[in-house]
Amino acid sequence: MKTSRGAAILAIITAALLILPLVVHDTFVLRVLTEGIMWIGLAIAFDVIAGYTGYLNFGHGAFFGIGAYTIGILMMQAHLPFWVALPLGGLAAALTALIAGIPTLRLKGAYFAIATWALSRAIQQLALNVEFTGGPDGMRLEAFLNPLFFYYLMLITVGVIFLILWYLLERAPFGLKLKAIREDEEGAKALGLNPTMLKMQSFILSAIPTGILGGIYAYWITFIDPSSTLGDLVSDQAVVMVVFGGMGTLFGPALGAILIFAFKTIFWAYLSDFQLLYLIILGALIAISVIFIPNGLWGTLVKRKAVARPQQKPEPASEPAALSAVAVPEEGN
Amino acid sequence: MTEPILKVNSVTKCFGGLTAVDDVSFSVEKGEIVGLIGPNGAGKTTLFNVISGYYAPTKGSVVFQGNDISGKPPYHLAGVGIGRTFQVVKPFAGLSVLENVTIASFLKHPKKADAERHAWQVLETTGLADRAHLSAAGLTLAGRKRLEISKALALDPSFLLLDEVVAGLNPTEADRTVELIMKLKAQGLTILIVEHIMRVIMNISDRLVVLNFGKKIAEGTPAEVSSDPHVVQAYFGEEAA
Ligand SMILES: Nc1ncnc2c1ncn2[C@@H]1O[C@H](COP(=O)(O)OP(=O)(O)O)[C@@H](O)[C@H]1O
Ligand SMILES: [Mg+2]
Repeated sequence: MKTSRGAAILAIITAALLILPLVVHDTFVLRVLTEGIMWIGLAIAFDVIAGYTGYLNFGHGAFFGIGAYTIGILMMQAHLPFWVALPLGGLAAALTALIAGIPTLRLKGAYFAIATWALSRAIQQLALNVEFTGGPDGMRLEAFLNPLFFYYLMLITVGVIFLILWYLLERAPFGLKLKAIREDEEGAKALGLNPTMLKMQSFILSAIPTGILGGIYAYWITFIDPSSTLGDLVSDQAVVMVVFGGMGTLFGPALGAILIFAFKTIFWAYLSDFQLLYLIILGALIAISVIFIPNGLWGTLVKRKAVARPQQKPEPASEPAALSAVAVPEEGN
Repeated sequence: MTEPILKVNSVTKCFGGLTAVDDVSFSVEKGEIVGLIGPNGAGKTTLFNVISGYYAPTKGSVVFQGNDISGKPPYHLAGVGIGRTFQVVKPFAGLSVLENVTIASFLKHPKKADAERHAWQVLETTGLADRAHLSAAGLTLAGRKRLEISKALALDPSFLLLDEVVAGLNPTEADRTVELIMKLKAQGLTILIVEHIMRVIMNISDRLVVLNFGKKIAEGTPAEVSSDPHVVQAYFGEEAA
């Protein structure tokens, strides 16, 4: 795919999303769109650690819940304004990643997935059992009922998250370094990469936007409790969206988020009595994508972008170029 | 005489009860190719892992350019100029050949465009440029060994550790790699190389260090070493038999 064409398509979609509320006034539609956009953000943030770095974090929902609770507590108990509380929600998620990352990022594969899942369960139990979270009764936030405000806030926040992640992961060296860790941690060390440092950076980079989105969610929905924000569903859905859409890319998880969220919305609108069936379909979808489209939908649809080979001869001044002047005979097979 | 670039001082490396490297000392002068030989299991790869920071020595020390580097992590040593290849190759299989080498180029070229340009130069040198966009997983064994060298070279190292980069290649491929190694030497790189193929190691090495059961049993020019009775018995004897 040509970058310019991709950018044009993206610009059209963004413009359409920006003017959409001027045309569509239905609050239900607006609400569904706001949540859909949120899921795009959650999926791409999850993919930083899971897809780029290769560490499947089954506790991603904990960052979301901690962001939500931080905003809730700071607004309702410390009486901080939303705009002050919101960045602190991101910071709280970052601190959680730092503390949780030290023991868990040493683990590999399924062990990391199990450890992060267990940690997120522990955090949920904590929220259920301490006083200042409201325990199982949850917490009600001061209501600010302005669907348009939340639609634009979510859209702009996810847009900014997308641009920052796109720059760091696709343009800057950071993304390739993370992929090196994913492909071979030991081999990466010999090339000057410090895996411990890179994994921690990637975990924190995944946590911050997730915490911020949790904060916006709390203020928007005005009610949070341990099962809605700290439960399994956030992590589970993020996993399905990213695996189905295509790991280690940004467009894949975004596409996966749109499709899975649309499916979920339609399913719950018409078949709300069969929530268990929804979970079964979610599980089956993971299995089917892993087996039949290991690169996900996006990875299957779009080929790897090729970097052009430089036309002119390399500068003779620099060191290895001196050799390239001498022809190396072609290899056998 | 100048200070040697690398000094291995009485290095011992044990794995539990097994002494894989046993009190080995030698040094490498700047610009030399030193061959490290010995039968399978002699401790050559283990010694490479100690020098490149993958293992801390149980006893002894490694001094590189006057600094004690024992126990320093590999990513630090890459930064001070030590490049290495792996006997069991470690390509980033899901990435392209170019991306593999670009990652190594980041060490000296922090900007992505510069690193990519540098990676192309390295691939021209090592003869992989026409396979730059292939997935590293799609390379032949010869290609993967060449990719190992490319990644190590992309670090712009002053000292190169090559672990069996010729073994397993057909004679044409082997000749190309030998030619490449000689060019690197001509550029001023210092090289410590492990190789089983006698024809190769005898030809390219200025000096040889011979290990057997973790111990150094001989050191000297290829001519000296091949007439050393210990070596003939421990090593060449095995082949003659
Ligand atoms: N990580 C390890 N753990 C335990 N034993 C090892 C390890 N690495 C190497 N060894 C043992 O150390 C000895 C030397 O191995 P190695 O250095 O690979 O020999 P070479 O490269 O000369 O063939 C062998 O007996 C090998 O089994
Ligand atoms: Mg070996």
